[in-house]
Amino acid sequence: MRKLGVFICHCGVNIAGTVDVKSVAEEMGRVEDVAHSTDYIYMCSEPGQQIIREAIREKGLEGVVVACCSPSMHENTFRKAVKSQGMNPYLCEIANIREQCSWVHQKDREEATRKAAEIILATLEKVRKNESLEPIAMAIDRRVLVIGGGIAGMTAALDLAEGGYGVVLIEREPGLGGHMAQLSRTFPDLDPALPGLVAKASAVERHPKINLLCYSELEDVKGYVGNFDLTVRKKATLVDWEKCNGCGDCIRDCPVEYASPFERGLGMRKAIDLFYPDSVPSKPVIDREHCQYFLDKGCRRCEEICPKKAINFAQKDERIELKAGAIVVATGYELYPMERLGEYGYGQIPDVIDGLAFERMLSPNGPTRGKILRPSDGKVPKEMVFIQCVASRDPDRYMPYCSRVCCMYTAKHASFYKEQVPDGQPYIFYMDIRSDCKGYEEFLQKTIEERGLLYLRGRVSRVFQDDGKVRVLGVDTLTGRMVEVAADMVVLATAIVPSPGVKDLAAKLRATVDRHGFLTEAHIKLYPVESSTKGIYLAGCGQSPKDISDTVSQASATASKIQALLSTDKLLQDPLIAFVDEGICSGCGICVEICPYEAREMDRRRGISVVHEALCQGCGACIAACPNFACELRNSSASQTLRMVDTFVA
Amino acid sequence: MKGNGAFVKRAMVIGGGIAGISASLDLGNAGYDVVLVEKLPSIGGRMLQLSETFPTLDCAQCTLTPKTVETGQHPRIKLVTYSEVEGIEGKAGDFSVSIRRKAAYVDWERCTGCGLCQQKCPSKNPSEFDRGMGLGKAIYTLSPQAVPNKPVIDPSHCRYFKEGKCRVCEKICPVKAIDYEQKDRLVEERVGAIVVAVGFDLIPKESFGEYGYGELPDLIDGLAFERLNSASGPTTGEIRRPSDGKVPKEVVFIQCTGSRDPERYMPYCSRVCCMYTAKHARLYKHKVHDGQAYIFYMDIRSTGKGYEEFIQQGMEEEGILYLRGRVSRIFRDGEKLIVWGADTLTGRKVEVSADLVVLATAMTPRKEAKELAKKLGIEADDHGFLTEAERKLRPVETKVEGIYLAGCAQGPKDIADSVAHANAAASKVQALFAKH
Ligand SMILES: Cc1cc2nc3c(=O)[nH]c(=O)nc-3n(C[C@H](O)[C@H](O)[C@H](O)COP(=O)(O)OP(=O)(O)OC[C@H]3O[C@@H](n4cnc5c(N)ncnc54)[C@H](O)[C@@H]3O)c2cc1C
Ligand SMILES: Cc1cc2nc3c(=O)[nH]c(=O)nc-3n(C[C@H](O)[C@H](O)[C@H](O)COP(=O)(O)OP(=O)(O)OC[C@H]3O[C@@H](n4cnc5c(N)ncnc54)[C@H](O)[C@@H]3O)c2cc1C
Ligand code: SF4
Ligand code: SF4
Repeated sequence: MRKLGVFICHCGVNIAGTVDVKSVAEEMGRVEDVAHSTDYIYMCSEPGQQIIREAIREKGLEGVVVACCSPSMHENTFRKAVKSQGMNPYLCEIANIREQCSWVHQKDREEATRKAAEIILATLEKVRKNESLEPIAMAIDRRVLVIGGGIAGMTAALDLAEGGYGVVLIEREPGLGGHMAQLSRTFPDLDPALPGLVAKASAVERHPKINLLCYSELEDVKGYVGNFDLTVRKKATLVDWEKCNGCGDCIRDCPVEYASPFERGLGMRKAIDLFYPDSVPSKPVIDREHCQYFLDKGCRRCEEICPKKAINFAQKDERIELKAGAIVVATGYELYPMERLGEYGYGQIPDVIDGLAFERMLSPNGPTRGKILRPSDGKVPKEMVFIQCVASRDPDRYMPYCSRVCCMYTAKHASFYKEQVPDGQPYIFYMDIRSDCKGYEEFLQKTIEERGLLYLRGRVSRVFQDDGKVRVLGVDTLTGRMVEVAADMVVLATAIVPSPGVKDLAAKLRATVDRHGFLTEAHIKLYPVESSTKGIYLAGCGQSPKDISDTVSQASATASKIQALLSTDKLLQDPLIAFVDEGICSGCGICVEICPYEAREMDRRRGISVVHEALCQGCGACIAACPNFACELRNSSASQTLRMVDTFVA
Repeated sequence: MKGNGAFVKRAMVIGGGIAGISASLDLGNAGYDVVLVEKLPSIGGRMLQLSETFPTLDCAQCTLTPKTVETGQHPRIKLVTYSEVEGIEGKAGDFSVSIRRKAAYVDWERCTGCGLCQQKCPSKNPSEFDRGMGLGKAIYTLSPQAVPNKPVIDPSHCRYFKEGKCRVCEKICPVKAIDYEQKDRLVEERVGAIVVAVGFDLIPKESFGEYGYGELPDLIDGLAFERLNSASGPTTGEIRRPSDGKVPKEVVFIQCTGSRDPERYMPYCSRVCCMYTAKHARLYKHKVHDGQAYIFYMDIRSTGKGYEEFIQQGMEEEGILYLRGRVSRIFRDGEKLIVWGADTLTGRKVEVSADLVVLATAMTPRKEAKELAKKLGIEADDHGFLTEAERKLRPVETKVEGIYLAGCAQGPKDIADSVAHANAAASKVQALFAKH
């Protein structure tokens, strides 16, 4: 018979206010194999842990139940405490009498006390049969995969590389930079986006520890933290980048032009072109959908002109197999499509554009060389309307959340507009002005004062084309009046949404997304960059909308977490996983089908199912599914569970 | 330990709030030794004072204590609490920092943290930790779960220091740990990098003439409301107003008190008040079902993940009344506080007669932050928030190599952003150490 100890925490008044902890402690003290039972105001505090340590030493305890809060809080604390006295940590169990008892039964002290006692008695049953276990040590791969080459992905990659870790950075576009590459000048200091960005991108391209794979996407992931097996598909650029020297002759000579997505449709690009003019890497790709050769087998002018013979129409997609110990998901954002906004003309009105399009217009390397000219006729707009919160904060029709950056970039846009068109009038429709980061409020106030921006608080109900003008109908909730503006051009600050394809990617990674598709963190406050899947980390706007500064902090944060994770030789994994009674298993294979973590495999030779220890998460799906009761979970065996249930029904 | 040659691969973190703790744990877990210097007797920072936290409304101590305990037990983290940085010399890889370890008047080596002294100490004084609403002892720890769990004597309240008699704690202490003769000590630490995480303060409510210069007892600030709502606070979590202990039926919350007010107070936005005020109003409604909460606001700023939804829920499901406008005056009328304001949406004057008023006062830097910045050779803005090397692309670096920023010391932030910011600072330290 094991000598057991019971330690009951008051959690201040959280538990003791509802549960009569003294009487429960006395009751437990009367249980035959309980050699020590006591209560204390905060078991997790240093003196509380000391009580446990001393009791183990003095009474020679062989198992411990701490009755307190949820094991997700302090299981670790108490397991460490018992371990310091030489007890196997898996002989310490938590009886959750706070979340599962005192908090939910505040009105009934007597019943709560009885229930707390039962929870502890049941946990004692468990501890009686617990085995001493050792964590599973696994070798780890020190390389890191970063998905997405925006400012988030680049920052994470550089931090990790600087920390001495090998990085593979995959970006699905032909060049680095993400949306920051489309920006003109950035708030709050209004310096040009490109120089800083290009410097980062070049550092990524040159870094000996970073393997940059552009025009590439993750195709498949197997494995687990410390040991991911990855397949990356590198799309055919149809240009041999090794040979290409970036001279640009092909681009100049290509006869096919089409509306460039990078320029948000405001400018043109060639069928062979760079991702954008200053793109890093500075190598072109051929777009099969527009290339004349792929349309009618003609043309091939680029092939002729290329001095390096780099054009290769026969190039195929390549599959690359990689290994990594951790993954950063930095897939960024997209803007809510204008085509779905009925009240703003379904994206059909040429002079109604979105924020990124306006950024392109403001960019010196953009389609208008930085001039604000309206798309329909190239005139300088004299009355401009900016509309914030388009499809944001609109739970009934669009997105319920706030996109966090639109207030700021709209002020920036209106300010640039006034700078260029001093006699023009910008109107801004807004709901609340949100300028909540360092220096942002000051930026906003200064801009409003210096530039004479007109803020109208209210929603716009309709935007439509009328006789060369764009009419904007709205209400000013401050005066309660209807407003109508006949504008020359309208800029919509459309909602930030997760980038397309992220749900599929998340499914491959077994990471979770919220209902909008933003990747979910393990804990919103304390683990903001960890995903709920071990070894997978989140950075940037793929987790939620944010500005560049917060994106960069978050990206560096992932790098810190990963360096701590990979700094050891072996990764220790909880051993509370499934095992198979080989004598009973009939080899039916149901568990192989059911396991969500691909942790089950058939051993064909022996005709039984085996558990891959590193993959098993201890979810218990196989235990429920096995028709022969051949699988059990370590320290949660059927007999333990039944005895626990017996305590409650007895 | 990773380390070779002259470049010291050991870091110092100044400030043991959630930011400093997060940075220390990251560095410790990555295998680097860390010296964590905290001014107060124990770590945890402002989060120790909070009750429940937005946006999930989980209990602050439940999320904090696993972190403080882990920090306290971490083999690579050396806690140097009740201490302040005196001076710094050297450069990245070789900083020599002198630290003043304040006299605790308790020998921490001997003290077992039994707490008898605190029980028996006869001196009772308004507790700063409880924002003056509860009573504390002259020999105290910040909380029963304090890490480290060692008390200090506050000589300004201790009867022996003031009147020359008492010495009750000395008599009661079973291990003879009390030492009235203890002096401040200067100690030196050599480190290769420094993370500054000294956090924030609030503008004192005494600064607001229009709100009665802090003389109205039922006019409190946000941290005081956190204490009122805390199970470990002066009212064990019941919402009772300070003047007479009554449960307030009408509560007015005023956002942007001292923020976004360049002419009179701070020009900046304090970033967390919109959210914590919504949280306060919701927590109030959870406890006082028939109470009415009014919130005066300028703009509602709820930009974090899930924050907008949090606000909407408060308005729609819990009937919190938002009034857009500034409050011009608050004065006492019998048992009530009269709040005069304007509702800019209707253009009308509003008057609310309230039982309790909670001011969301501006977050400011710690008052010694500028001084510390000077010692470190880094920059601070006019207010005292520490300045990052570059606003967007280098948000945790300073102009001095080897010195980094974390949390609210750099500017107001919520917990999530403070933690990410601190993790980022730890990443920069790791990169610096890896290079050498
Ligand atoms: C109009 C506008 C103006 C703005 N102005 C400012 C400003 O002035 N100041 C400021 O601080 N912030 C500004 N922002 C915000 C800023 O754009 C973002 O903070 C920043 O770009 C976010 O970077 P990111 O790396 O998270 O995402 P992104 O820039 O979106 O990068 C994500 C990258 O991942 C790639 N990717 C996506 N999915 C995959 C996949 N499955 N596989 C491989 N690669 C993938 C994408 O191609 C992209 O390159 C503005 C935003 C908008 C919309
Ligand atoms: C009323 C109120 C309610 C809030 N509610 C929430 C909420 O619900 N959710 C949320 O996410 N955020 C909330 N916040 C914000 C939250 O408190 C901060 O984000 C967080 O505390 C910042 O942590 P920090 O470590 O940067 O600073 P702090 O918590 O201030 O910690 C700084 C530490 O440094 C120490 N220190 C200071 N100077 C020195 C020095 N010279 N030498 C050594 N040590 C020093 C201090 O003693 C302190 O321990 C709230 C804030 C307030 C005011
Ligand atoms: S417990 Fe879950 S993860 Fe482990 S083998 Fe069974 S089904 Fe798979
Ligand atoms: S000597 Fe001071 S600290 Fe000690 S018990 Fe007396 S008043 Fe309290």
